[in-house]
Amino acid sequence: MGTRILAVEDDERIRTAVKMALEDEGWVVEEADNGEDALESFSRHPTDVVLIDIMLPGIDGFEVCRSIRRNSDVPIVMVTARADTHDVVAGLEAGADDYLTKPFAPKELSARIRALLRRARTSDPGISHLKFGDLEIVPEEGMVLRDGQEVHLTKTEFRLLVELAASPGRVFSREVLLERVWGYGYFGDGRLVDVHIRRLRMKVESDPANPRHVVTVRGLGYKLQT
Amino acid sequence: MSVMRFLPATRRLGLRARLTLIFALGAALLSAILSVTTWELTRENLLLQRLDAARQSAIANATFVSKELKLPRAADASNFEKLLTSLPTPEGAQPVISYNQDVGGKPAAYAKDPLQFGLNDLPEKLRVTVTSGQAATMRYYARKDNNPYLAVGIPIASSNASYYEAVPLQDVENALDGLGISLLGAAALTTLAGGLFGFWISRRALAPLTEVGTAAGAIAGGRLDTRLEVSGDPDLDTLTVSFNEMAAALESRLDRDARFASEVSHELRSPLMTLAASIEVLENSRDEMPERARTALDLMRADVERFQQLVEDLLEISRFDVGAITLHLDEVLVVDFVIQAVGAAGAGGIKVIYDEDVGEAVVRLDKRRFVRVIANLLDNAAKYAGGATSIQIQLASRNAGEGGQSHEVVRIAVEDSGHGVPADERTMIFDRFSRGGEGGNRGADSGVGLGLALVDEHVRLHGGTVWVEDRLDGKAGARFVIELPAVPESEPHLAEPVAV
Repeated sequence: MGTRILAVEDDERIRTAVKMALEDEGWVVEEADNGEDALESFSRHPTDVVLIDIMLPGIDGFEVCRSIRRNSDVPIVMVTARADTHDVVAGLEAGADDYLTKPFAPKELSARIRALLRRARTSDPGISHLKFGDLEIVPEEGMVLRDGQEVHLTKTEFRLLVELAASPGRVFSREVLLERVWGYGYFGDGRLVDVHIRRLRMKVESDPANPRHVVTVRGLGYKLQT
Repeated sequence: MSVMRFLPATRRLGLRARLTLIFALGAALLSAILSVTTWELTRENLLLQRLDAARQSAIANATFVSKELKLPRAADASNFEKLLTSLPTPEGAQPVISYNQDVGGKPAAYAKDPLQFGLNDLPEKLRVTVTSGQAATMRYYARKDNNPYLAVGIPIASSNASYYEAVPLQDVENALDGLGISLLGAAALTTLAGGLFGFWISRRALAPLTEVGTAAGAIAGGRLDTRLEVSGDPDLDTLTVSFNEMAAALESRLDRDARFASEVSHELRSPLMTLAASIEVLENSRDEMPERARTALDLMRADVERFQQLVEDLLEISRFDVGAITLHLDEVLVVDFVIQAVGAAGAGGIKVIYDEDVGEAVVRLDKRRFVRVIANLLDNAAKYAGGATSIQIQLASRNAGEGGQSHEVVRIAVEDSGHGVPADERTMIFDRFSRGGEGGNRGADSGVGLGLALVDEHVRLHGGTVWVEDRLDGKAGARFVIELPAVPESEPHLAEPVAV
């Protein structure tokens, strides 16, 4: 059974064309033309990736995103018509893992999906347990504990944390993180990193406004420390 | 376009100068009228007083003299002297008694002090009139010393003589001269004050106009939200309110135009999405297609890509127009960036030439936007000059205006080996939808002329400049140069991530 993609798009022609193109890439595509149907379909069928157009009639893409995030860490790719508005940041804040701007090439979408589905890895597979003060990471089980309590991270947040944890104290530039976590090249959007770092801090930091573990290094990037 | 003319076309002076002049002239005229009137009234008054006094004194003295002349002792010349001295005359007055006919052996006339003032010092005309039996008054200047006098002559018919009394007017003249000088000085001061007042008034009155001018300049400069403050002065508020309404109308109109372009571009994205996806589906079964269908598919794909680019460009231009561009600035090594950008533009074969000292140069730019800038310059070279021959990156320094302080700049130059750009087209070429004069040299893939306009707008938004010149090595071809400020090494690097 192939990887199942739920494509939420209200424009029938776009939906049909994108579905065909994605099927050619080997994905199994489930369709929904509005937010309600999307949530309904998501709750009934096992889904590996969700593709959501932000501009939906009724419940909009942000809300669908948030509803799914409430009880799932499934990778979500958001589709927006505007790359430089607040839509992108708002979508990422709502829980999306990546975004694409219309019109995009379905092959590019496939590449994004593949990058999101990659398993988290550490540079040294021998490491099975990492501890940073009150923070514990168990890469093999995909688990993060804060003060012994399990913290729920999305797949992308987890991979970001593991990348940083692989070399504690080392500063990672946004470009490096974009490349390692999202598979983007030189021209990736740094906002992806920034928003995911914010989301990560909300979950792993006891005081997200004054982070102790996931620290910003002015002008250079981010690092993880004890 | 209609131009309302507020002022005559032949005006030479500015409004302020004219107002000042009008006030000065008005003050001069007014003070002149006042001065002349004052002077005249004073003169009349003074002279009239003198005249009255002289007449009264002369009449009284003539009556007394007429009585004395009838007495026998009048025959004695020495008594005349006593008589003349005893007469109560006003200060400085000169009494003269003269007989109308020679009386044998005796002098015809007697004066108090004949050497100082005698009959001959009285005017001929007065003497003739009085001798003929008529009293008369006359103002004149003495022939001897040219001093002013007022003379009263009264005939004494009983003795066939005349009595004269001449009052000097020198003091009155002096007083009037003094008054005249004072008045002249006052008039000059008033004129000056009038001019100054006019200048001040005009500045005050024109201050709102200056504000309007500044505001209009600001609007023309692109700050469309500039408005005038409503002052509460009903005369001025007509102008202020109209101006603000005009500015608001202009702003909303431009905003609407730009929004329209933006909406249209967004609307075009949906069909483009379907086309892009459908073309990919067709591409997947390319091998099963007949040759003609493949050619048609290639054509379609190429033009859908071009269409996409056009929509992107229009959208970007409309963002510039509404000022809705938010740059996501990053600090990048310029050489790294250019090499990556050339690669992303699918032009990896083009040589990137740079000196060693540029290797560490850092510029601050929006990577995703600036990669389009490089791509547009490469596209432009590909369309009009058979492709770029090289990209050169250099460090230079540039003077920052008056301060004389120079700062480091980075120049990214794209050279080609085409026909170059004629000098008179080097500015125009960066205008929207301009295609230069050599339209015939264009391949089948003609652009829409937004590429260089976007380059210009983006570079300026990044605080740089772009221009086109001849190739430095003297060979035929154009050299497009982007100049960006280099980030000084000493400057603290960007703080929090800017891209959020």
